[in-house]
Amino acid sequence: MNKNFDAIIIGGGIIGTATGYYLSQKGLKVVLLEKDFLTAGSTGRCITGIRQQFSTPTSIKTAMESVAIFKTLDEEFDFDIEWASSGYMFLAYDEEKVKLFKKNIQIQRQFGLKVNFLTPEECKKVVPLLNIKDLLGGVWCASDGQANPFLVVKGFSEGIEKNGGKILINTKVENINTKNNKVQSVSTYGGETFSAPVVVNAAGPWAREIGKMVNLKLPVEPERHEALITEAVAYQRIPMLVDYRADGGYFVQRVTGQFIGCYTPETLIPGKNTNSTLEFLREMSRRMSRIVPALENVAVLRQWAGSYCMTPDGNPIIGKTEIEGFYCAVGMCGHGFMLGPALGKFLAQYITDKSWPFNLDEFAYGRSFGEREKMV
Amino acid sequence: MSSKKDIIICRCQDITLEQVEQAIDNGITHPEQLKRFLHIGMGPCQGRTCGQLVTRILARKTGKSPAVIKPTSTRPPLISVPIKELWDREDE
Repeated sequence: MNKNFDAIIIGGGIIGTATGYYLSQKGLKVVLLEKDFLTAGSTGRCITGIRQQFSTPTSIKTAMESVAIFKTLDEEFDFDIEWASSGYMFLAYDEEKVKLFKKNIQIQRQFGLKVNFLTPEECKKVVPLLNIKDLLGGVWCASDGQANPFLVVKGFSEGIEKNGGKILINTKVENINTKNNKVQSVSTYGGETFSAPVVVNAAGPWAREIGKMVNLKLPVEPERHEALITEAVAYQRIPMLVDYRADGGYFVQRVTGQFIGCYTPETLIPGKNTNSTLEFLREMSRRMSRIVPALENVAVLRQWAGSYCMTPDGNPIIGKTEIEGFYCAVGMCGHGFMLGPALGKFLAQYITDKSWPFNLDEFAYGRSFGEREKMV
Repeated sequence: MSSKKDIIICRCQDITLEQVEQAIDNGITHPEQLKRFLHIGMGPCQGRTCGQLVTRILARKTGKSPAVIKPTSTRPPLISVPIKELWDREDE
Protein backbone atom coordinates (compact mmCIF):
# COMPACT_ATOMS: atom_id res chain seq x y z
CA MET A 1 0.00 0.00 0.00
CA ASN A 2 1.19 3.48 -0.84
CA LYS A 3 1.42 5.25 2.48
CA ASN A 4 1.30 8.83 1.28
CA PHE A 5 -1.99 10.54 1.90
CA ASP A 6 -3.44 14.04 1.89
CA ALA A 7 -4.97 13.64 5.33
CA ILE A 8 -4.75 11.20 8.23
CA ILE A 9 -7.76 10.96 10.54
CA ILE A 10 -7.25 9.47 13.99
CA GLY A 11 -10.48 8.00 15.33
CA GLY A 12 -13.34 6.00 13.81
CA GLY A 13 -16.36 7.60 15.42
CA ILE A 14 -18.79 10.11 14.02
CA ILE A 15 -16.27 12.99 14.05
CA GLY A 16 -13.50 11.08 12.30
CA THR A 17 -15.69 9.44 9.69
CA ALA A 18 -17.68 12.61 8.91
CA THR A 19 -14.54 14.75 8.63
CA GLY A 20 -12.87 12.09 6.50
CA TYR A 21 -15.94 11.79 4.31
CA TYR A 22 -16.17 15.49 3.53
CA LEU A 23 -12.41 15.73 2.98
CA SER A 24 -12.54 12.80 0.57
CA GLN A 25 -15.44 14.48 -1.22
CA LYS A 26 -13.18 17.45 -1.81
CA GLY A 27 -10.73 15.13 -3.54
CA LEU A 28 -8.31 14.53 -0.68
CA LYS A 29 -6.83 11.08 -0.28
CA VAL A 30 -7.79 10.12 3.26
CA VAL A 31 -6.67 7.36 5.58
CA LEU A 32 -8.59 6.82 8.81
CA LEU A 33 -6.83 5.02 11.67
CA GLU A 34 -9.01 3.44 14.33
CA LYS A 35 -7.38 1.60 17.22
CA ASP A 36 -10.32 -0.75 17.78
CA PHE A 37 -13.35 -0.87 15.46
CA LEU A 38 -15.65 1.82 14.05
CA THR A 39 -18.00 3.33 16.71
CA ALA A 40 -16.05 1.62 19.53
CA GLY A 41 -15.60 4.89 21.45
CA SER A 42 -18.28 7.39 22.39
CA THR A 43 -20.35 7.39 19.19
CA GLY A 44 -21.51 3.79 19.49
CA ARG A 45 -22.42 4.34 23.14
CA CYS A 46 -24.63 7.39 22.72
CA ILE A 47 -28.39 7.36 23.03
CA THR A 48 -29.06 8.54 19.45
CA GLY A 49 -30.60 11.96 20.19
CA ILE A 50 -30.14 14.92 17.88
CA ARG A 51 -31.23 18.31 19.15
CA GLN A 52 -30.98 21.92 18.09
CA GLN A 53 -32.11 23.35 21.41
CA PHE A 54 -28.86 24.82 22.66
CA SER A 55 -28.31 28.13 24.39
CA THR A 56 -25.51 29.75 22.38
CA PRO A 57 -25.60 30.92 18.75
CA THR A 58 -22.67 28.77 17.56
CA SER A 59 -24.12 25.57 19.00
CA ILE A 60 -27.62 26.33 17.70
CA LYS A 61 -26.39 27.10 14.18
CA THR A 62 -24.12 24.05 14.12
CA ALA A 63 -26.90 21.77 15.36
CA MET A 64 -29.38 23.15 12.83
CA GLU A 65 -26.87 22.47 10.04
CA SER A 66 -26.40 18.95 11.41
CA VAL A 67 -30.13 18.26 11.31
CA ALA A 68 -30.22 19.53 7.72
CA ILE A 69 -27.45 17.03 6.87
CA PHE A 70 -29.02 14.10 8.77
CA LYS A 71 -32.16 14.58 6.68
CA THR A 72 -30.20 14.02 3.46
CA LEU A 73 -28.12 11.03 4.55
CA ASP A 74 -30.62 8.30 3.55
CA GLU A 75 -30.36 9.47 0.00
CA GLU A 76 -26.64 10.15 0.16
CA PHE A 77 -25.79 6.68 1.54
CA ASP A 78 -28.60 4.86 -0.26
CA PHE A 79 -29.83 3.18 2.94
CA ASP A 80 -31.99 4.10 5.91
CA ILE A 81 -30.04 5.68 8.79
CA GLU A 82 -33.22 5.68 10.92
CA TRP A 83 -33.47 9.46 11.02
CA ALA A 84 -36.77 10.65 12.47
CA SER A 85 -37.98 14.09 13.45
CA SER A 86 -39.25 12.69 16.71
CA GLY A 87 -38.60 15.88 18.68
CA TYR A 88 -37.13 16.83 22.05
CA MET A 89 -39.15 17.91 25.05
CA PHE A 90 -37.35 19.57 27.97
CA LEU A 91 -39.44 19.19 31.11
CA ALA A 92 -39.56 21.93 33.75
CA TYR A 93 -40.34 21.00 37.35
CA ASP A 94 -39.34 24.30 38.99
CA GLU A 95 -39.73 28.01 38.23
CA GLU A 96 -36.03 28.47 37.66
CA LYS A 97 -36.07 25.99 34.75
CA VAL A 98 -39.22 27.61 33.34
CA LYS A 99 -37.37 30.93 33.28
CA LEU A 100 -34.20 29.44 31.80
CA PHE A 101 -36.08 27.52 29.10
CA LYS A 102 -38.08 30.61 28.11
CA LYS A 103 -34.90 32.63 27.88
CA ASN A 104 -33.25 29.98 25.70
CA ILE A 105 -36.31 29.90 23.41
CA GLN A 106 -35.77 33.60 22.66
CA ILE A 107 -32.18 32.91 21.58
CA GLN A 108 -33.13 29.81 19.58
CA ARG A 109 -35.92 31.60 17.73
CA GLN A 110 -33.48 34.24 16.47
CA PHE A 111 -32.05 31.50 14.26
CA GLY A 112 -35.41 30.37 12.96
CA LEU A 113 -35.81 27.35 15.21
CA LYS A 114 -39.46 26.47 15.83
CA VAL A 115 -39.63 25.88 19.55
CA ASN A 116 -42.49 26.48 21.99
CA PHE A 117 -43.14 26.48 25.70
CA LEU A 118 -46.11 24.22 26.42
CA THR A 119 -48.36 23.89 29.47
CA PRO A 120 -48.44 20.44 31.10
CA GLU A 121 -51.75 19.73 29.34
CA GLU A 122 -50.25 20.70 25.99
CA CYS A 123 -47.23 18.48 26.73
CA LYS A 124 -49.64 15.62 27.33
CA LYS A 125 -51.23 16.24 23.95
CA VAL A 126 -47.84 15.78 22.28
CA VAL A 127 -46.92 12.80 24.47
CA PRO A 128 -50.13 11.10 25.67
CA LEU A 129 -48.18 8.63 27.83
CA LEU A 130 -46.45 11.43 29.77
CA ASN A 131 -47.06 11.68 33.52
CA ILE A 132 -47.61 15.40 34.16
CA LYS A 133 -47.58 15.22 37.96
CA ASP A 134 -45.39 18.06 39.35
CA LEU A 135 -44.74 19.30 35.80
CA LEU A 136 -44.82 23.08 35.25
CA GLY A 137 -44.41 22.91 31.50
CA GLY A 138 -42.10 21.81 28.75
CA VAL A 139 -40.19 23.13 25.79
CA TRP A 140 -41.05 21.35 22.58
CA CYS A 141 -39.04 21.32 19.39
CA ALA A 142 -40.62 19.01 16.83
CA SER A 143 -37.73 19.22 14.36
CA ASP A 144 -35.18 17.72 16.76
CA GLY A 145 -34.77 14.02 16.24
CA GLN A 146 -32.82 10.81 16.33
CA ALA A 147 -30.79 8.56 14.06
CA ASN A 148 -28.81 5.35 14.30
CA PRO A 149 -25.15 6.15 15.11
CA PHE A 150 -23.87 2.80 13.81
CA LEU A 151 -25.53 3.28 10.44
CA VAL A 152 -24.46 6.90 10.10
CA VAL A 153 -20.82 5.93 10.73
CA LYS A 154 -21.21 3.00 8.34
CA GLY A 155 -22.40 5.39 5.64
CA PHE A 156 -19.63 7.94 6.18
CA SER A 157 -16.92 5.27 6.29
CA GLU A 158 -18.18 3.53 3.16
CA GLY A 159 -18.24 6.95 1.52
CA ILE A 160 -14.57 7.49 2.37
CA GLU A 161 -13.71 4.18 0.70
CA LYS A 162 -15.85 4.96 -2.34
CA ASN A 163 -13.97 8.24 -2.69
CA GLY A 164 -10.67 6.39 -2.76
CA GLY A 165 -9.76 6.62 0.93
CA LYS A 166 -8.78 3.89 3.36
CA ILE A 167 -10.27 2.81 6.69
CA LEU A 168 -7.92 0.84 8.91
CA ILE A 169 -9.36 -0.70 12.08
CA ASN A 170 -7.25 -2.43 14.76
CA THR A 171 -4.67 0.24 13.99
CA LYS A 172 -3.40 2.11 17.03
CA VAL A 173 -1.37 5.26 16.65
CA GLU A 174 1.94 5.24 18.51
CA ASN A 175 3.50 8.49 17.41
CA ILE A 176 2.93 11.62 15.41
CA ASN A 177 6.10 12.84 13.79
CA THR A 178 6.71 16.55 13.32
CA LYS A 179 9.51 18.59 11.76
CA ASN A 180 9.91 22.33 12.25
CA ASN A 181 6.57 22.42 14.07
CA LYS A 182 4.79 20.78 11.13
CA VAL A 183 3.18 17.34 11.00
CA GLN A 184 4.95 14.87 8.75
CA SER A 185 3.64 11.41 9.46
CA VAL A 186 1.90 9.07 11.88
CA SER A 187 3.34 5.76 12.99
CA THR A 188 1.35 2.90 14.43
CA TYR A 189 1.98 0.09 16.90
CA GLY A 190 1.78 -2.25 13.92
CA GLY A 191 5.02 -0.69 12.68
CA GLU A 192 3.52 1.22 9.78
CA THR A 193 4.09 4.88 8.95
CA PHE A 194 1.61 7.04 7.05
CA SER A 195 2.64 10.41 5.67
CA ALA A 196 0.36 13.42 5.19
CA PRO A 197 0.50 17.18 5.64
CA VAL A 198 -2.79 17.05 7.59
CA VAL A 199 -3.54 15.06 10.75
CA VAL A 200 -6.94 15.28 12.44
CA ASN A 201 -7.33 14.33 16.08
CA ALA A 202 -10.83 12.85 16.33
CA ALA A 203 -9.95 10.39 19.07
CA GLY A 204 -12.84 11.18 21.44
CA PRO A 205 -11.98 9.88 24.93
CA TRP A 206 -8.36 9.39 23.83
CA ALA A 207 -7.98 12.90 22.39
CA ARG A 208 -5.67 14.06 25.17
CA GLU A 209 -3.25 11.18 24.60
CA ILE A 210 -3.16 11.96 20.87
CA GLY A 211 -2.56 15.65 21.66
CA LYS A 212 0.37 14.73 23.89
CA MET A 213 2.07 13.11 20.91
CA VAL A 214 2.63 16.59 19.51
CA ASN A 215 3.17 18.13 22.96
CA LEU A 216 -0.25 19.78 23.13
CA LYS A 217 -2.20 19.84 26.36
CA LEU A 218 -5.83 19.47 25.34
CA PRO A 219 -8.29 20.37 28.11
CA VAL A 220 -10.49 17.33 27.52
CA GLU A 221 -11.55 15.01 30.29
CA PRO A 222 -13.66 11.90 29.67
CA GLU A 223 -16.45 11.18 32.15
CA ARG A 224 -18.44 8.01 32.50
CA HIS A 225 -22.13 8.11 31.59
CA GLU A 226 -24.20 4.96 31.81
CA ALA A 227 -27.05 4.03 29.49
CA LEU A 228 -29.58 1.30 28.92
CA ILE A 229 -31.91 0.03 26.21
CA THR A 230 -35.19 -1.87 26.47
CA GLU A 231 -36.84 -4.42 24.25
CA ALA A 232 -38.66 -3.03 21.20
CA VAL A 233 -42.36 -2.33 21.62
CA ALA A 234 -44.94 -0.66 19.37
CA TYR A 235 -43.76 2.81 18.38
CA GLN A 236 -45.56 5.40 20.52
CA ARG A 237 -43.70 8.44 19.20
CA ILE A 238 -42.13 9.22 22.58
CA PRO A 239 -39.70 12.07 21.85
CA MET A 240 -36.48 12.59 23.77
CA LEU A 241 -37.75 13.58 27.20
CA VAL A 242 -35.21 15.59 29.15
CA ASP A 243 -35.65 15.85 32.90
CA TYR A 244 -33.03 18.07 34.56
CA ARG A 245 -34.05 17.37 38.14
CA ALA A 246 -31.21 16.11 40.35
CA ASP A 247 -32.64 12.63 39.90
CA GLY A 248 -33.73 13.17 36.30
CA GLY A 249 -32.49 11.70 33.05
CA TYR A 250 -33.22 11.61 29.37
CA PHE A 251 -34.65 8.91 27.15
CA VAL A 252 -36.32 8.46 23.79
CA GLN A 253 -38.16 5.75 21.94
CA ARG A 254 -36.17 4.66 18.93
CA VAL A 255 -38.17 4.49 15.70
CA THR A 256 -37.35 0.79 15.87
CA GLY A 257 -39.33 0.54 19.14
CA GLN A 258 -36.68 0.35 21.89
CA PHE A 259 -36.41 2.91 24.69
CA ILE A 260 -32.87 4.14 25.17
CA GLY A 261 -31.77 6.47 27.93
CA CYS A 262 -29.20 7.70 30.37
CA TYR A 263 -28.65 10.20 33.17
CA THR A 264 -25.80 12.39 34.33
CA PRO A 265 -24.44 10.99 37.59
CA GLU A 266 -24.62 13.35 40.56
CA THR A 267 -20.96 12.81 41.32
CA LEU A 268 -19.03 12.91 38.06
CA ILE A 269 -16.89 9.89 37.35
CA PRO A 270 -13.79 10.98 35.44
CA GLY A 271 -11.81 8.54 33.32
CA LYS A 272 -12.44 6.03 30.58
CA ASN A 273 -14.06 3.41 32.80
CA THR A 274 -17.07 2.03 30.93
CA ASN A 275 -18.32 -0.47 33.50
CA SER A 276 -22.00 -0.56 34.27
CA THR A 277 -23.64 -0.61 37.67
CA LEU A 278 -26.74 -2.14 39.23
CA GLU A 279 -27.44 1.24 40.82
CA PHE A 280 -27.85 2.81 37.39
CA LEU A 281 -30.07 -0.01 36.14
CA ARG A 282 -32.42 0.40 39.09
CA GLU A 283 -32.34 4.18 39.22
CA MET A 284 -32.85 4.66 35.49
CA SER A 285 -35.78 2.23 35.59
CA ARG A 286 -37.35 4.27 38.37
CA ARG A 287 -36.74 7.59 36.67
CA MET A 288 -38.06 6.46 33.28
CA SER A 289 -41.23 4.90 34.61
CA ARG A 290 -41.86 7.95 36.80
CA ILE A 291 -42.11 10.07 33.64
CA VAL A 292 -43.76 7.45 31.42
CA PRO A 293 -45.53 5.00 33.79
CA ALA A 294 -46.49 2.68 30.92
CA LEU A 295 -42.82 1.72 30.71
CA GLU A 296 -43.03 -0.42 33.84
CA ASN A 297 -43.99 -3.46 31.77
CA VAL A 298 -41.19 -3.03 29.25
CA ALA A 299 -38.07 -5.13 29.80
CA VAL A 300 -34.53 -3.78 29.89
CA LEU A 301 -32.28 -5.70 27.51
CA ARG A 302 -28.85 -4.24 27.99
CA GLN A 303 -26.86 -1.61 29.85
CA TRP A 304 -23.45 -0.12 29.12
CA ALA A 305 -21.47 3.06 29.62
CA GLY A 306 -19.60 5.53 27.48
CA SER A 307 -17.57 8.69 27.80
CA TYR A 308 -18.69 12.28 27.65
CA CYS A 309 -15.50 14.07 26.64
CA MET A 310 -15.78 17.30 28.61
CA THR A 311 -14.07 20.63 28.07
CA PRO A 312 -14.07 23.34 30.77
CA ASP A 313 -16.87 25.34 29.08
CA GLY A 314 -18.97 22.51 27.66
CA ASN A 315 -18.21 23.39 24.04
CA PRO A 316 -16.19 21.33 21.56
CA ILE A 317 -12.68 22.23 20.44
CA ILE A 318 -12.37 22.30 16.70
CA GLY A 319 -9.83 23.72 14.27
CA LYS A 320 -6.14 24.35 13.87
CA THR A 321 -3.49 24.30 16.58
CA GLU A 322 -0.01 25.77 16.92
CA ILE A 323 1.36 22.66 15.18
CA GLU A 324 1.00 23.25 11.47
CA GLY A 325 -1.23 20.60 9.88
CA PHE A 326 -2.47 19.25 13.21
CA TYR A 327 -6.21 19.81 13.63
CA CYS A 328 -8.50 18.96 16.52
CA ALA A 329 -12.13 17.95 16.61
CA VAL A 330 -12.36 16.90 20.24
CA GLY A 331 -14.19 17.47 23.52
CA MET A 332 -17.70 16.96 22.20
CA CYS A 333 -19.19 17.03 25.73
CA GLY A 334 -21.82 14.42 24.91
CA HIS A 335 -22.91 16.11 21.67
CA GLY A 336 -20.57 14.40 19.21
CA PHE A 337 -23.15 12.36 17.37
CA MET A 338 -25.64 15.20 17.00
CA LEU A 339 -23.09 17.83 15.99
CA GLY A 340 -20.74 15.47 14.13
CA PRO A 341 -22.03 15.69 10.56
CA ALA A 342 -21.94 19.51 10.63
CA LEU A 343 -18.61 19.77 12.44
CA GLY A 344 -17.08 17.24 10.05
CA LYS A 345 -18.28 19.27 7.10
CA PHE A 346 -17.09 22.56 8.63
CA LEU A 347 -13.65 21.19 9.48
CA ALA A 348 -13.20 19.69 6.01
CA GLN A 349 -14.01 23.10 4.54
CA TYR A 350 -11.63 24.78 6.96
CA ILE A 351 -8.78 22.38 6.14
CA THR A 352 -9.18 22.75 2.38
CA ASP A 353 -10.38 26.36 2.00
CA LYS A 354 -9.13 27.93 5.27
CA SER A 355 -12.57 29.32 6.03
CA TRP A 356 -15.45 28.49 8.34
CA PRO A 357 -19.07 28.78 7.14
CA PHE A 358 -19.65 31.22 10.05
CA ASN A 359 -17.73 32.42 13.06
CA LEU A 360 -16.72 29.41 15.17
CA ASP A 361 -14.52 31.25 17.69
CA GLU A 362 -16.66 29.81 20.46
CA PHE A 363 -15.25 26.36 19.55
CA ALA A 364 -11.69 27.48 18.77
CA TYR A 365 -8.63 25.72 20.10
CA GLY A 366 -6.75 28.05 22.45
CA ARG A 367 -9.82 30.08 23.50
CA SER A 368 -10.08 31.11 27.11
CA PHE A 369 -12.53 28.91 28.95
CA GLY A 370 -15.42 30.56 30.74
CA GLU A 371 -18.48 29.04 32.28
CA ARG A 372 -19.94 25.70 31.27
CA GLU A 373 -23.00 25.85 29.02
CA LYS A 374 -26.19 25.92 31.07
CA MET A 375 -28.05 23.25 29.13
CA VAL A 376 -25.76 20.27 29.36
CA MET B 1 -30.82 -26.78 -0.06
CA SER B 2 -32.63 -23.66 1.03
CA SER B 3 -31.48 -20.27 -0.13
CA LYS B 4 -29.22 -18.21 2.12
CA LYS B 5 -31.94 -15.60 2.00
CA ASP B 6 -34.23 -17.98 3.89
CA ILE B 7 -31.81 -18.94 6.64
CA ILE B 8 -32.28 -16.71 9.66
CA ILE B 9 -29.14 -16.34 11.77
CA CYS B 10 -30.48 -13.76 14.25
CA ARG B 11 -34.12 -14.41 15.03
CA CYS B 12 -34.58 -11.32 17.15
CA GLN B 13 -33.53 -8.91 14.43
CA ASP B 14 -34.36 -11.04 11.35
CA ILE B 15 -30.82 -11.14 9.99
CA THR B 16 -30.25 -13.77 7.32
CA LEU B 17 -27.20 -15.82 6.43
CA GLU B 18 -27.04 -13.91 3.16
CA GLN B 19 -26.82 -10.57 5.00
CA VAL B 20 -24.08 -11.82 7.32
CA GLU B 21 -22.03 -13.25 4.46
CA GLN B 22 -22.49 -10.12 2.39
CA ALA B 23 -21.28 -7.93 5.23
CA ILE B 24 -18.20 -10.14 5.68
CA ASP B 25 -17.58 -10.03 1.92
CA ASN B 26 -17.75 -6.24 2.21
CA GLY B 27 -14.87 -6.37 4.65
CA ILE B 28 -16.64 -6.31 8.01
CA THR B 29 -14.79 -9.09 9.77
CA HIS B 30 -14.64 -7.70 13.31
CA PRO B 31 -17.39 -9.41 15.39
CA GLU B 32 -18.18 -6.17 17.28
CA GLN B 33 -18.43 -4.32 13.98
CA LEU B 34 -20.77 -6.93 12.50
CA LYS B 35 -22.92 -6.65 15.61
CA ARG B 36 -23.22 -2.89 15.31
CA PHE B 37 -23.62 -2.53 11.57
CA LEU B 38 -26.10 -5.43 11.23
CA HIS B 39 -27.65 -5.19 14.72
CA ILE B 40 -27.09 -8.90 14.97
CA GLY B 41 -27.31 -10.09 18.57
CA MET B 42 -28.84 -6.85 19.83
CA GLY B 43 -32.40 -8.11 20.30
CA PRO B 44 -34.13 -9.84 23.23
CA CYS B 45 -31.80 -12.89 23.32
CA GLN B 46 -28.69 -10.67 23.30
CA GLY B 47 -26.84 -12.95 20.89
CA ARG B 48 -27.23 -16.20 22.75
CA THR B 49 -27.88 -18.18 19.59
CA CYS B 50 -26.57 -16.03 16.79
CA GLY B 51 -23.33 -15.18 18.58
CA GLN B 52 -22.01 -18.69 18.12
CA LEU B 53 -23.36 -18.91 14.59
CA VAL B 54 -21.63 -15.66 13.64
CA THR B 55 -18.34 -16.97 15.06
CA ARG B 56 -18.66 -20.06 12.87
CA ILE B 57 -19.58 -18.11 9.76
CA LEU B 58 -16.68 -15.72 10.35
CA ALA B 59 -14.31 -18.65 10.86
CA ARG B 60 -15.48 -20.33 7.67
CA LYS B 61 -15.35 -17.15 5.58
CA THR B 62 -12.02 -15.84 6.87
CA GLY B 63 -10.22 -19.15 7.29
CA LYS B 64 -9.51 -18.38 10.96
CA SER B 65 -9.96 -20.82 13.80
CA PRO B 66 -13.16 -20.11 15.78
CA ALA B 67 -10.93 -20.15 18.86
CA VAL B 68 -9.25 -16.87 17.88
CA ILE B 69 -12.50 -15.03 17.05
CA LYS B 70 -13.34 -13.05 20.14
CA PRO B 71 -17.03 -13.11 21.09
CA THR B 72 -18.75 -9.74 21.49
CA SER B 73 -19.02 -8.19 24.96
CA THR B 74 -21.68 -9.61 27.24
CA ARG B 75 -23.55 -6.90 29.09
CA PRO B 76 -25.90 -6.93 32.02
CA PRO B 77 -28.63 -7.78 32.74
CA LEU B 78 -28.00 -11.38 31.72
CA ILE B 79 -31.69 -11.87 31.04
CA SER B 80 -34.07 -9.07 30.21
CA VAL B 81 -35.91 -7.69 33.25
CA PRO B 82 -39.16 -5.68 33.23
CA ILE B 83 -38.67 -2.18 34.54
CA LYS B 84 -41.19 -2.67 37.35
CA GLU B 85 -39.03 -5.49 38.75
CA LEU B 86 -36.01 -3.22 38.93
CA TRP B 87 -37.12 -0.78 41.56
CA ASP B 88 -39.16 -0.99 44.68
CA ARG B 89 -42.22 1.21 44.67
CA GLU B 90 -42.14 1.25 48.48
CA ASP B 91 -39.15 3.58 48.14
CA GLU B 92 -41.18 6.24 46.35
